[in-house]
Amino acid sequence: MQPEEHRQSLFVELIGGKLEEWRQGYVRLSLLVEARHTNPNGVMHGGVITTLMDECLGGVIASVRGMEAMWAEPHATVELSVSFMSGARPGDDIIVEGRVLKVGRTVAFGEVEARRRGEDDLIAKGHGTFTILKRGA
Amino acid sequence: MDRAGTRHSPFVEYIGARREEMGEGFARLSITIGPQHTNPNGVMHGGVVTAMMDSAIGGALGALRGGDARQRPHATIEMNTSFLAAARPGDEVVVEGRVIQLGRTVAFAEAEARRRGDGALIARGRLTFAIASPRTPRPAHGEALEP
Repeated sequence: MQPEEHRQSLFVELIGGKLEEWRQGYVRLSLLVEARHTNPNGVMHGGVITTLMDECLGGVIASVRGMEAMWAEPHATVELSVSFMSGARPGDDIIVEGRVLKVGRTVAFGEVEARRRGEDDLIAKGHGTFTILKRGA
Repeated sequence: MDRAGTRHSPFVEYIGARREEMGEGFARLSITIGPQHTNPNGVMHGGVVTAMMDSAIGGALGALRGGDARQRPHATIEMNTSFLAAARPGDEVVVEGRVIQLGRTVAFAEAEARRRGDGALIARGRLTFAIASPRTPRPAHGEALEP
């Protein structure tokens, strides 16, 4: 599946997130931090990372479920937990990588990591739980 | 600084959130959901409320800590959000954040997102902030102290 076959969220487009890689079980997004992404301390707002993580997790679960299954029975975030380990600043190139832990019949789990491109140290680590919505249920 | 005595957060302003109230340990923000806030399912992206929760608590904590927040900035270290219901374009979503406990090095807070009108609970969050250590002079190996 090619990235262009997966529809990115309008909200992620609004904030400038880019889908870089999309294959079964792995999705990577990126974002170049700008002044508009900051909080009053001048560092990247935590909401930028939570947005990219939610998007990345939703995408990687879709990559495993398949797009037909996803459109028939969409999945939705029920829990998102994020640990913020270091800050990022305007000019930083952030990548967010998501992997699936398990896709069940009604629930799916994934984990996601944010780093500066080319660096090993984590900026943030997340864990997401999704429910698979049953039509007519 | 604005009238509420707190500083602007470029990101929440960029996404279109409004600050309705900002007090010591309490804050309320709101947003009118438009198509630009949605995910591919056509409902509000989870990032919208997590960003607003983070800002509400960051601001409420800043107002509570006053001048100390400038000397020793606080930063989110943990955020756990439960999403209970969807919000759709046209909905007005209100996010309220409260500081539960302010310690010397850590602060705890909770936030709720509700739909204005019927008050339906959309999301709940628990947030933990770290408070930076005071800057202490470190005369390492005879180096001059930074000005």
